[in-house]
Amino acid sequence: MKVKILRRRSPADESYWEVFDADVPGEMSVAGLIDHLNYRDDIVDESGIKTTRIGWECSCLQGVCGSCAMVINGVPALACETFVRDLGGSVTIEPLRKFPVIHDLLVDRSVIHENLKKTDIYIGKYSPKKPKSAAAGEKEQIRQYEAAKCLKCGLCLEVCPSYVSGRSFFGALFANDCYLAAARNSESADKIKKHYSEHFASACSKSLSCMDVCPMHIETIASMSALNR
Amino acid sequence: MKNAVVIGSGISGMTCAVKLAEKGVSVVLVSPFPSERSQSVMAAGGINAVLPDNGEGDSVALHIEETLSGGGMLAGRKAVTGLCEGAAVVIEYLESIGTVFSTDESGRPLRRAFGGQSKRRTCYCGSSTGKQIVSALIMEARRYEAAGLIKRRLWSCFHSALIKDGVCYGALLFDETAGGLTAEYADALVIAAGGQNALFGKTTGSTQCDGYTAGKLFLQGAELKNLEFIQYHPTTLETPQKKMLISEAARGEGGRLFYIEDGRRVYFMEDRYGPRGNLMTRDVVSREIFSCGRQVYLDVSFLDRKLIGRRLPEVRELCLKYAGIDIASQPVPVSPSVHFFMGGLAVRLDHETNIRNLFAVGECASIYHGANRLGGNSLLAAVYGGMVAADAIAGRESGTVRPDFSAYIEDEKRALSKLYGTKSSFPAEYIRGMAAETLSGDLGIVRDEKTLAKGIKDIDYYLSIAGKISYDSSVMMYSIYSLTGILSLARAVLVCALGRRESRGSHYRSDHPETLPEMGYPTIISYDGGRYAARLDREGYYES
Repeated sequence: MKVKILRRRSPADESYWEVFDADVPGEMSVAGLIDHLNYRDDIVDESGIKTTRIGWECSCLQGVCGSCAMVINGVPALACETFVRDLGGSVTIEPLRKFPVIHDLLVDRSVIHENLKKTDIYIGKYSPKKPKSAAAGEKEQIRQYEAAKCLKCGLCLEVCPSYVSGRSFFGALFANDCYLAAARNSESADKIKKHYSEHFASACSKSLSCMDVCPMHIETIASMSALNR
Repeated sequence: MKNAVVIGSGISGMTCAVKLAEKGVSVVLVSPFPSERSQSVMAAGGINAVLPDNGEGDSVALHIEETLSGGGMLAGRKAVTGLCEGAAVVIEYLESIGTVFSTDESGRPLRRAFGGQSKRRTCYCGSSTGKQIVSALIMEARRYEAAGLIKRRLWSCFHSALIKDGVCYGALLFDETAGGLTAEYADALVIAAGGQNALFGKTTGSTQCDGYTAGKLFLQGAELKNLEFIQYHPTTLETPQKKMLISEAARGEGGRLFYIEDGRRVYFMEDRYGPRGNLMTRDVVSREIFSCGRQVYLDVSFLDRKLIGRRLPEVRELCLKYAGIDIASQPVPVSPSVHFFMGGLAVRLDHETNIRNLFAVGECASIYHGANRLGGNSLLAAVYGGMVAADAIAGRESGTVRPDFSAYIEDEKRALSKLYGTKSSFPAEYIRGMAAETLSGDLGIVRDEKTLAKGIKDIDYYLSIAGKISYDSSVMMYSIYSLTGILSLARAVLVCALGRRESRGSHYRSDHPETLPEMGYPTIISYDGGRYAARLDREGYYES
């Protein structure tokens, strides 16, 4: 298959496309595919010309760490959860476009953490509001568990029509952390809701594309409705 | 002490950093990638603690005994007592910072029975306990980052420790984006770099945990302990990417292991151990699968579909996603894989190594698990160890005079600069790959003198060439400069395994299958000018 990758040596260099040939099994993930390209004896492009190894980030290789977020055939996704069998005969791979590129597919996503730090979103002390009923409590518990699974991979920001670079609008992952912190510490809920209004609710266009790409299937809309209450 | 550098930002590193910050100690928290990427997020099962409401006649004393006996009586009683007695405080702390535990109607953490234990004492958070703890700790760490007490250094990799005359003064770090070495001086250095699984290629763990930090510190004089004890998980699914762990829950729910002979299924575990044979301990099942010498399958397809959907949803999703196998209708091919390292940096009760002011916590430290680890004790040890080290560091006086390291730093900078700008396309990864093949082959589930000795010879060869080759420098520089440390650790593991001429816990020698009472002590290995000296810690130096 043809593998087209958008590459960049360093932040100071220009981006360029490079095409590779690969013959790999359908069960292989895109993460496995990149590894395969990198560790053949020599790395050569489709015309057989020697090139440099592809820079990318990985850790768990099974969809629970969020390292390998990238844009695959135009869709933001985790490389370790996207399979060759679903790609058709060719694949185009780009780094996430809303973060500064460091090298090839490696991007700097530190703005995610910085925005949460800047607005001081944390639980601090577990003191939830008493739920109205046992059933409501159980539902809340499940939602909080789901929200805490956020990988901070940035896919929700990549796909979001309102998110630009994180200067004022912080995106779905911010809303979900706000929800988790406010739900588990009712004492700081008001303060957190203020940040949520300013950096999320005021600018969210409610396309909800964030929910389509979230590898953890977090229901951002549920976080939103809890915080809007 | 006033400040500390923590290497690694998984559960143990973050716990230590947060606890130090609580006590007013400034922390630099170092990891190439954010905490969400740490191996800690992969820990699914749970965290052990005997809480006052445990019931079933459970007690802290029983937890201690099971931890000690599960570990082949090799862990220190004092260390294990501290761990088990501290467990309730650990859970209380994790609850207080908002970890989303699975709870009962009154909000108390639910508990289940887990790996090698007789009582239900494993608290858990659904099927992602590690991830949930990481999420809570990230918020807590972020709070101290905003307050200026914790400073994260991302894209930075550990290079070496700054050690003089047996005292540590900080670390030398390599910044992958700026491309240079910088010294980070501190009163204490805490290593929380995780296990060594990438030594064996792609295992169940993270590709980021490769043991370099332990290997490098070993070369710098730190002693390592119990390296020969490596836990294999019996049931993993081989995929083109890695080995994926299939939870013990699959066998817990009734899953059966078999191989095929003359067209017939042979349920070898049941044939050998009776109807509950599939539930034998991890090391026994791993050895039995290994000795089959052919493909083994795990079958749950005869179970009720609804039960599979309810009790094993993650297993079903994983097999479907990564292998196209629906466990509700087909058996899954499984094989054992390296999973956890009981060995690592030798630490005393306060988590300090033999180098003063150098501490180690989490999987890279060897203290609580002896020759084998109970399920649910690794998360406990990660949090508890982080707390203990923080207490020790915060309670000490800072040193006064710092020696001059400028000559050492200049030498290291010069050595690194030689690695840049080569025209070579030879990836350092190849050497790692060859070492991984050697370890997987010669340091397997069943070991003997001949294969271990051959393994040492092979690693010696890689060590002899590793420094002479020009490598492709278009990749992360860390993958190149880490080679010698990783290979040295690999050699140390083999030397320890060769030296233990008995079988105990996860270490099985086909040429010495018996357990010898006179070898019931931890192995300590040190490095002295090229000599790998292994001994047994008969005096209990690390139990103080």
